[in-house]
Formats: sequence, C-alpha cells, structure tokens
Amino acid sequence: MSPHYLEIFVIGLALTLLMADAFFPAREKRVIAWIGASGLAIVFGLLFVVDPAALPPDTIAPYYSADPHALFFKGLALIATIFVLLLGCDFMPVLRRGINGADNDRKGGVAESFILPLFACAGMMWMASATDLIFLFLSLELVTISFYVLVASMRRQVGSLEAGVKYLLLGALSTGMLVYGITWVFGATGMTKMSQLAVAVPGMTDNIAALTFGSMLVLAALAFKVGLFPFHSWIPDVYQGAPTPVTAFLAVASKAAAVLVLARFLDPFLNNPEIAAKLIPVLGVISGATLLFGNLGALGQYNFKRLMAYSSIAHAGFLLLGILGRDFTLVSFYLGAYVCMTLAAFFAISIVRRSVGRDDLSAFNGLARRNPALAFTLVVSAASLAGVPLTAGFIGKFGVLMGAVNAGYWPLVAVAVPAAAVGFYYYFKIVRHMFWEKPDDLEPLPVGRLSTTALALLTAGTLVLGFYPRLLERAIQDAPIVPIPAATANTADTP
Amino acid sequence: MPIVLILLVFLPLAAAALIGLRAPARATSLGTAIVMVFLVAALNHYFDRESPSMQFASSLTVMENPGIALAFGIDGMSLVMLLLSVLVLFAALWMIDPLADNARLQYAGSLLIAGGAIGAFASTDLFFFFAFHELALIPTFLLIGMCGRGSNARSAAWRITLYLGLGSLILLVGLLALHHALGQPGFSITELHARAMADPIAPETQSWIALLLIIGFGSLVSLVPLHSWAAPAYAAAPTPVAMLHAGVLKKFGLYGLLRVAVPMLPEGMREWAGLLLVLLLLNIIYMGLVTIACKRLDTMFGCSSVMHMGYLFLAVAALSLTGPDNTLAYRGAILLMFAHGVSIALLFALADRIESRTGTLEIARLSGLGRAMPSLGFLFGIAAFASIGLPGLANFAGELLVFLSGFHGFRPSEGLQPLQWATILAVWGVVISAVYMLRAYRTAFMGDPDASRRHDVLTTEEKLPLAALAGALVVVGFFPNLLLQYLPF
Amino acid sequence: MTLEHYLIAAGILFCTGLFGMIVRRNILVIFMCLELILASATLTLVAFSRFRLTSGLPDIDAQMLVFFVITVAAAEVAVGLAIIVSLYRSTQSVHMEDLHTLKG
Repeated sequence: MSPHYLEIFVIGLALTLLMADAFFPAREKRVIAWIGASGLAIVFGLLFVVDPAALPPDTIAPYYSADPHALFFKGLALIATIFVLLLGCDFMPVLRRGINGADNDRKGGVAESFILPLFACAGMMWMASATDLIFLFLSLELVTISFYVLVASMRRQVGSLEAGVKYLLLGALSTGMLVYGITWVFGATGMTKMSQLAVAVPGMTDNIAALTFGSMLVLAALAFKVGLFPFHSWIPDVYQGAPTPVTAFLAVASKAAAVLVLARFLDPFLNNPEIAAKLIPVLGVISGATLLFGNLGALGQYNFKRLMAYSSIAHAGFLLLGILGRDFTLVSFYLGAYVCMTLAAFFAISIVRRSVGRDDLSAFNGLARRNPALAFTLVVSAASLAGVPLTAGFIGKFGVLMGAVNAGYWPLVAVAVPAAAVGFYYYFKIVRHMFWEKPDDLEPLPVGRLSTTALALLTAGTLVLGFYPRLLERAIQDAPIVPIPAATANTADTP
Repeated sequence: MPIVLILLVFLPLAAAALIGLRAPARATSLGTAIVMVFLVAALNHYFDRESPSMQFASSLTVMENPGIALAFGIDGMSLVMLLLSVLVLFAALWMIDPLADNARLQYAGSLLIAGGAIGAFASTDLFFFFAFHELALIPTFLLIGMCGRGSNARSAAWRITLYLGLGSLILLVGLLALHHALGQPGFSITELHARAMADPIAPETQSWIALLLIIGFGSLVSLVPLHSWAAPAYAAAPTPVAMLHAGVLKKFGLYGLLRVAVPMLPEGMREWAGLLLVLLLLNIIYMGLVTIACKRLDTMFGCSSVMHMGYLFLAVAALSLTGPDNTLAYRGAILLMFAHGVSIALLFALADRIESRTGTLEIARLSGLGRAMPSLGFLFGIAAFASIGLPGLANFAGELLVFLSGFHGFRPSEGLQPLQWATILAVWGVVISAVYMLRAYRTAFMGDPDASRRHDVLTTEEKLPLAALAGALVVVGFFPNLLLQYLPF
Repeated sequence: MTLEHYLIAAGILFCTGLFGMIVRRNILVIFMCLELILASATLTLVAFSRFRLTSGLPDIDAQMLVFFVITVAAAEVAVGLAIIVSLYRSTQSVHMEDLHTLKG
C-alpha cells in the first residue's frame, strides 16, 4: 500500500464524520470522538504496513516522501491527535459551556471540536511528507486554518475568542512571510522541490543574498509556528485562552510538525558555507534568546496553562539547539518524549480544571492527598519536562546538549545549562503545590476510566523511553533529513 | 552471577513501586533491605580479589547512537560503597516511624534515594552513572518539603534541589565534554578509561574539563564555596533522608572524582590541585569553626559533614599531585568514605532519638542524657569519637591513611610542598572536631537530667539499627583490612 | 519594466503591510495589511515566473503557487472574519487595546 493513502484516509474519515454529525443526536457527540480516534488508531496501525516504494513515481513521489522521519512524524501526529480526541471527550462539559454559554442551549456543535483535529492531523501528516515548497505551504495552511477555528471555538468565552484573534493575526502574518520567503527562494533558484534544493543550494555561489533573505523569511515564519524568539509572544496568550485540548494539540503536534519542517527546510541552506556563515549565528542567537525568554518567563507564572506555554517556548529553544547540532535523530527523539510528557500534563490540567474549575497552580494544591496516582503521573511528567534523568525528557536534553558540545557551541551550552536549571524551579513548583500545600477540600478527585488509561500509557511511555530509548530510536533509523531520491537528482533540470 | 548485581540495583526501585501500589510499607521495605544486605554479602563472597577488571558485569544497549548501555559491574571501590549503601539504607528504613504522617512516602522515597545511589555506584556506563544519581532529586525535594523539621524546611528543600540540579547540569556538560574529547562513540567508563590511557587528552583541554568536573562533583559533595545547601538541608530533612543523603549519596561526587576525573584527566586535575587544596582547607578550618558555633545538634552534624568532606578532598588532591601510585590515598579515601557515611548516619539517627525523647535539639537545653539513657549515651559516644577520629574506630584508620598519603614521596631535603602544608593544617581539623563534639557531648550527656522531661530508655527495637551502625564503626576500626582487602593494591 | 521594478514594487507593498500590521490597532485594518503582504508575495511570484522563461514559456510552478495562495488567502479571510465577528459580538469592539483578558 502506498503511504499517501494514509492522509486520504484521514481526510475521508473527517469529511464523513462532518456529514454524519448532522444525524447524531446532540447527546451522543462523544461517539464522533470515538469513531475518529479509532479511525486514527487504524491509520496508525497502517503506518507499519505501508511500503514507501509503492509511491506512484510520477504523480506523487516528486512532492511526497515517506522517509523514516516522515513516517515517524506521521506516527507522532496520529498519536497526539488520538490523545487530544480522548482529552476532548473528557473535557466535553467545559467545551459545551464554552460553546453554548452557561444555559447550555445545545444549539452550537461540539462535534467540530472532534472533527477539526482530524483535518489538522492530515495536514500535519502532509507537512511531515512534503518535499515541495508549494505542497508544504498548503499542508501548513490546512493545519493553521483548522487551528484558527479550534482556538476560537469556545465562542461564549472572551478568552478563547481573544486567543483566536491573536493566533489568527500572527498566524496570517507568518503565512505572508512564508509565501514571500518561498517566493525569494524560488526567485533565486527556480526550484520549489526540496530534493532539488538539497542538491543545488549547497554549491550555489550567486544569488546568495536573495537566498539568504528568502531562507530568513521562511525561518521567521516557521519560528512563529514553533514559538521561537522573537516570534514567541503569542504563545502564552493563545495557550491560556484556547480550550485545553486545543492547547495540548497546539503545544504538541503543531510544534512537532513545524520543527520537522524547519529542520528539513534549513538543511540545504546550512550546507552552503556562505549562507551558513550568516544563518548559524542568527540561529544561535534565536536559540539562546528563546531559552532565556522561555525559562525566565515561566518563573513568575501561576496559571498552569501559561506555565506550559512558557515551557513550550523553552523546549523550542532546546529543539533549535538540537537542529543546530545537526543530529536530527536526537531532535526527533526529543519531540517524541515531548509529546508524551506534555500530553500527560495537559490531561492532568483538564481533569483538575473540570472538577476544581480553575487552572491556576493553586488548583493543584494537595493533589497528592486527593488523588495520589494523578499526582504521581504529574510528577513524572514534570520531572521529564524538567529533564530529570531516567525519564524520556532527560534523554532529549542529554542528546541536545551532547550535540551542542560536540559541535563546539560553547556560548549556547553556557546559556542552556542555567536555563535548564531554572526549569527545575518552575516545574518543581507544580510538584510543590501538589505535595506541600494543603488542599482546599479533601474530597478525592475522580478520574474517568478513559483518562486513567491514557495517563497510564503516557506515563509508562515517559518512563520506559527514559530507560530504553532504543524503542524510538529504531523507528527513526538515522535517515538523512532531506530525502534525495535517485530519480530526482537526475531530472532536476527538466521542468 | 551478574543477576545478583542487577537485582541489587532494581530491588529498591521495585520495592518503592510496590509501596506506591499500597503494599505494606514497613514490611516490604525492611524485607527488601534485608535481602539487599544478603545480596551484598553474596557479592562480597564471590568477589574475585585478584581480578583487576569489573566483575559481575552485564550490559544492555539502550541507545545505539550515541552508544549508551545499561551496564553494571563492580570493582573493589564500588563494592565498599555498595556495602555502605545497604547498611545505611537498612538503618534508615528502620528509623522511620510507621505511624508518622507520610510514612509511606518516606519509605518509598528512602528506597528511591538508596536505589539511585546503588545504581550509580554499580554503573559502568557514564550515562547511567550520572542518571541514577539524579533519581534522588525528586524524593529529596518532596520529603524535605513535606516532612521537614523547622521553619525553613521548605527553603532548604528548594536550595538543595536547585543547587544539586545546577551542579549536576554542570557536571553533565563536563562529562559530555570529556566524552567528546576522548572521541569514543560509546559511554562505557572502562572503554573511556582505556582510551584516556592510550591516547591522553591534550593538557589544555584536560584543564577546563577538570574544572567543570570539580565544580560539578564539588557542588554535590559540598566543596566550599558550593556548600551552602548542605547544612540547612540536613538539619531540616527527615532523619532517613538526612542519613541516606549525608551518608551515602553525597559520596557519589567523591566516587566520581576518583573514578572519572582523577584517572582520565591526570594533567587537568594536577593543574587545579592547588585550588583544591585551598578550598579543602576552607572546608576543614572554616567549616570547622562554623560547626563550633552551631547551637543545635542537627545543624552541627550537617556542618560537620561538610567539614569532613575536606579530608576526602585532601585524598583527591594528593592523588592528583602525586600520581596513581599513591595507593594510600585511594585506600584512605575509600575507607574514610565508608567510615564517614556510617558515622554521620549514626549521628543523625541518634539526633532523631534524642529529639523524640526531649523534643529539642538545642544543645544548651539538653543535659544529663547520659545518666537518664545510658545506652544512648554510649552509642553517641562511639559516634562522636568516631567522628573526631579516635583510634579503634573506622574514621581513624581512614583519616590516618589520608594524612599519610599527603606525605607520599616526601623528600625532607626539598622542604614542605603545598600538599604537605595542607596536610599539616588539615590535621588541625581533628582538634576542631574534638572541640565541638566533646563540648556537645559534655553539655548534653553529662550533668543531671532535666527532671521535667520523660527520658524513656531506648527499646531494643530502637537500638538495633543504631547498634548495627556503631558495630560497623568498631569492627572496621579494628580490622580495616576487612574492607581494604577488596581494593586491588 | 524589468524584474527589479516588480520586485521593488512588491517590496514596498510588503513593507507597507508589515508596517501597518505593527502600527494599526484596528483588527480589521491589520487584517487588510495582511492581505497586502500576501498580494506582494503573489506579485513577486508572478514577476519571477514571467522573467524566468523556460523553453520560451513562463515558469509554471510559480504561477501554480499564486493560485494556491489566492485560494488559501480566501479561506483565511473567511475563517478570520468569522472569528472577528464573534469577537465583536462579545466585546463590542475590534480594537487591539480591548483585548486584555489574557494576562500572566
């Protein structure tokens, strides 16, 4: 089976559900999430049986690649979407209130909150495979536009709308920069295919200024999506305002896909010594500044979602440091770990939010007494986010630091180490609230069976990957980041 | 036989998990500790003293690029540390009051702390050597914050966590730089060591890697000026945490210096030995004077544990300056690590008992405990004398070897070198220890007991862990060769 | 008219859009400025395509991208205006200064 059917299947599923939604009674919208999640689970299973060699060579293969990185990221996108749908199920009461107002007249649809992630998921899967800048642009926009709607979906809450507008304006700006950047790269090379760029750009000596300009613009556009300094300012507001499942989706999947695209796109330019000489200092400064802004910004936060927003900025800094170290296997691993631990944290947030009604850190006071198991999973996830050893997050940080040390980026290491130490403080602040502080009421806090299973899986993933990272490593297989099929290298000049 | 070692590492972690899953806490943890004592006894029994290589070795590749393996194996030095770990773990678990608030968390946390230390001592892979040590970070933070004593327990918990977090990150960078400089694809300590012997790193590179390692390991061992986390944290920590942290976990830094820094970076360590000598004298003299000024027993023990690290750094400095044939320094350092670990754990345990009887640890408010509780007085005497370094107790043997190692290769014709000067000054530390220990002993244990307090004598159950630790001090004090026989020189 | 003329015109358009984006406080105007940026990108693309003749014809790849950009921009406007309208419904304002419920 050719891999490109995977996305077609996901889109087909989404369209079917969108139409089927009309016939589901309002009470049963949960079923849509279930069908969506199980459909995605089937697609995830299909990932292991697809045959990359079966891609139609003339129609699809020039635009679409199914290299190990792409398949790995498709897997990540699928897993993240499945968990987000389950999270949405759990979050349904809050979603309903947000969409229909306090009187809950049930006029507005909740189902879109479960169907739009499917479209975004398909977009991310395409992003992972896109090897043509036009295709890349389209898949990125599919993701972004789905997210505009998702972020603003709780339309009775000003916070959600405000987040939606902020995300819309900055997202659209980043779209503009992306197109303009692609335009200049095209203008300088006459190519839009990444595999051609990977062959041609490293040796180019003329039009360097145009190429650098174009690549910087695309870098800026992707920096928006990843949340890199100086384009990180939307993240805290949008994360705080968006419905929690959407925030989790944004934090995890959108970022992972954008990081892969960033690494793919930058690779040819970093291989050109003249452009790299300008690009690497810029990337270094961005990475260092992102680390500082993310970690220092998180220090004073008392809203858990905002804290996670700054934490995601900080992680973006580490990820860029990993891209600079040029060992993309480790970056992929980092992202895999990031997906596990961040999703677990957001599950915990949504559970607490639903029963306590707030998502401040103080809502977590005494959680260790009210629900020790939930507190434990959140400790594991916080430890992993902070980079405490024997969790998946540590291996990610270890790999990134190792890449930076091996590449000799000492100033960045000097920034990354205190930044990571600051991370200990604000992640442990969560632990402090759960264990040290007295709770307002001692009622046990119930967790649904679905969330229990999801949390158990995510926590086990975080711990097992921390001990045995080989599991994920095998999936990535050290492939080159920009796949260059033998055929395209020859036909590069024929339009 | 590798399975014995693997079991030893994973048993405490499994027990902690079981306790988390609502297994009976005291029975599970004490049972685990006893099994672990037997496992270490088995390791002792089957240990081949002639073989220079790592024994009971096992390895499982967990990452191919970079090559990281979950690899275990021990030599004589690690064996002694394992012995120390299980001994202190057993006593610490026994000391926990099963009726206390958070008792379950204390059992699980103590097992995790000890499991991390044991994992670090048994690892032969640099990655897991580092990673296991950090396992203690979260339990320590939780336990000091939740069950800590005194008003500033929480700030002490933050301080120890952030200090050790930053220190270990610096250490991590140092280890990564070392790995990069040696150009090995893998992280196996033995392979890195062989590489460092065959193809030494350029001296300038060695120098700054050694600096990173000294800062990193030093902050874990409370080398002045990176020591300020130690005393408040130990004073605030619940007894088992203080025992395990001061007795076992803190030795990880020294163990790392002896295992990694000194053999792989001889030039670099020699370059910084001068600085180390100054700092270790600050540890001994300055912290010694601070200890004299302490008003409470727990702070006093916390400070004294910082102070005694100075002797161990003296051994490290002697090794760096005089080269690997200074076997006295190795032997002394290992013996002293064991002795200090046991004696400080015993002191913290005794402080816990004193507080449970009198409700205070302020030295000035205690009196006549010796007459009221003779066995407590006796045990405290042993611990205090051991801590001072009186002959017949384990610390004496260790300190003696360390001081002698300072005069290794000393030629009177050349006069006293900085190392010898430092050694001579360090001996004054014994006098300082004697001042504060004996003064505390006199105030608290001599004289008439305070009639207003009830002074129940120690029950047999309470005596058992204390006696085990005190017995170890006496036995090793008279027969240091019991431990030294495992060391290869 | 050479390639440079088109590029400079597009560049001015881009800068106008970016500048307006930064200084204007009305969300609708900001949204229009975003359209300017996209327009400048399409203009550049068409210019590059027109001046890069391959076997006598303009490069078709770029013109294809132009159509996609126009389509995507339309979709973005549709979603964007819907969000702005519902924001107006709940806050009775489309000014950036009135967006202040989210704070750290």
